[in-house]
Amino acid sequence: MDHPAVAEEDVPLLSLQAFSLARGKVDVLDNVAFELGRGQTIGLIGESGAGKSTIALAIIGLLRPPEVALRGSIRFDGVELTGLAEAQYRQLRGNRIGLVFQDATAALNPCFTVGAQLAEPLSRHLGLRGNERRQRSIELLESVGIGEAALRLDAFPHELSGGMQQRVMIAMALACDPQLLIADEPTSALDVTIQAQIMELILERVRARSASAIFVLHDLALAAQVCDRVVVLYAGQVVEVAPAGELFAAPRHPYTRALRACSIELGQEQVLAPIPGSVPGLEDLPAGCRFAPRCDRASAQCAQTPPLVSDGIRSVACWHA
Amino acid sequence: MNESTVPVFSVLDVEKRFLLRKGRGGPVELRALDGVRLDIEAGSSVALVGESGSGKSTLVRMLLGLDRPGEGRVLYDGIDLQQVLARDRSRFAREVAFVYQDARGSMNPRFTIGEIIGEPMRVHRLHPAQDIPRRVALLLERVGLPASVAVRYPHQLSGGQVRRVAVARALAQEPRVIMADEAVAGLDVSVQASLLNLLRELVAELKVTLVFVTHDLGVASYLCNRIAVMYLGRILETGPVDSILQGPAHPYTRGLLESFPRFDRPLRAPLRGEIPSPVDLPAGCRFASRCPCVQPQCTEADPVARALDGRRLVACLFPLSGEVAAA
Repeated sequence: MDHPAVAEEDVPLLSLQAFSLARGKVDVLDNVAFELGRGQTIGLIGESGAGKSTIALAIIGLLRPPEVALRGSIRFDGVELTGLAEAQYRQLRGNRIGLVFQDATAALNPCFTVGAQLAEPLSRHLGLRGNERRQRSIELLESVGIGEAALRLDAFPHELSGGMQQRVMIAMALACDPQLLIADEPTSALDVTIQAQIMELILERVRARSASAIFVLHDLALAAQVCDRVVVLYAGQVVEVAPAGELFAAPRHPYTRALRACSIELGQEQVLAPIPGSVPGLEDLPAGCRFAPRCDRASAQCAQTPPLVSDGIRSVACWHA
Repeated sequence: MNESTVPVFSVLDVEKRFLLRKGRGGPVELRALDGVRLDIEAGSSVALVGESGSGKSTLVRMLLGLDRPGEGRVLYDGIDLQQVLARDRSRFAREVAFVYQDARGSMNPRFTIGEIIGEPMRVHRLHPAQDIPRRVALLLERVGLPASVAVRYPHQLSGGQVRRVAVARALAQEPRVIMADEAVAGLDVSVQASLLNLLRELVAELKVTLVFVTHDLGVASYLCNRIAVMYLGRILETGPVDSILQGPAHPYTRGLLESFPRFDRPLRAPLRGEIPSPVDLPAGCRFASRCPCVQPQCTEADPVARALDGRRLVACLFPLSGEVAAA
């Protein structure tokens, strides 16, 4: 593998700067900025329409011009990703950046066996063939907790349970020892006991390789449990970035606070406080702070977009924080 | 027995098997419900909690009389449900309302919201035709929607609004019991929170009995005062929410609680392995293959639900807490 020489330890593995993505005239992502350090995990949270999955797709080059217009920068391990050609993205995807999608049933090809799908990245990126490739496939399945791995290679996706399919996808994502794993709602289709098993597995595998991970999540408590840092998004804007523990213990942005106040906990005694109004559609995004129309602290100033201000540890984009 | 102590619904050792026409050795039998016992008291709110394939929805179909038990009986007000239905099906249909998982799919797309909410009143002749529009407006207000929604069609509403319409339609038939299947699943947290608050208010205000199917223990604990935990077609534990949250008696309940994401604890995966296939149930306790406290006896005897502390039922040979009543 040809890792560029600029990869110093103090350069973040991934950094988005002033990154905007437009469909037509609408900035679906507006000035998104965050960094992901080596060996770190980061969570993207927010309601539907926040742009969480869009960010994930943009990083791996599945959302590119001419379908959308990009501004700003995404740097991965010292290389600028925006503007890469498809051939170059193919060197990254499944190789240095692994992907786990929400819906394993849709992501796995129903016409090919688990073994055939697992073999693809191994042949393409690592050049493995024959028995060596088979051996490696078996090891990979075992590493994600699949028993009787040799037999499972011949199984078709529909012959496996949802949890088992998700494990296969994780094995595929980790096949080439990626530096970055992107997992978009990897467990939201799964039951809670299986969810805990799968999240524990992903974290353990990522840490064992000193890799980094981006989790797209809608469950705040799960984000608190699996992420070092959390990026809170609202309607395509980053509103707050902070270490997970501090973010939920003391949210600074009114939206983070509001999200926390309507997230249910076990044995919840306080009455949940829903956020008034609803997420704006792409056609009628408000100017300035996009959360302002639903915000209890909004003022005239909020018609101007607040900058994302960092104190070195946390950043928040709010005039009133 | 005193009239007021008869449960609205009693599920007595209900079993339901389905034949699946596949597999090499001929049809395969799926045991969707197996030895299910449950009492639903008037005025209580009961959550049926469990993972996919645990039989929650099948049990609700039994309670609604949409499916007959293979073995066992369902009683409504102490009378066999099949008899109740044979005698007066439409009265039962009026008294027991159902809120579907797929709210939009449960509405006729050619009906306006006003027609959808008004239909139960017309069918059950609850109000004179000229009063119905006013009643619809009141119900819309009650579920937090503007009266102008009445002239719109389901596809013009958001996911959260459609769920509110489904609740309004259930209220329109002035039910004693509301059953809901995953009525708040798949919504954003804020929309889910406001819908849960609405349901809580309605249950308290109208004194209806609520049977709420959910996979989410957090939702169950917020909305209901009793929980029945299901696993592979059996209720493993039933009891008041507080006592189940504070001292789960079944190892599976404890596993569910510990797997639930929390802000104040690191991630833990207390249970190992996969949920066994319901067409190939293990001998003995169906949870034994994943149970962290499994004993040799557990793979031999299939535990039936026993009373614990007088307030709970648990189907485990070695419950984690409380005193098992003498059999």
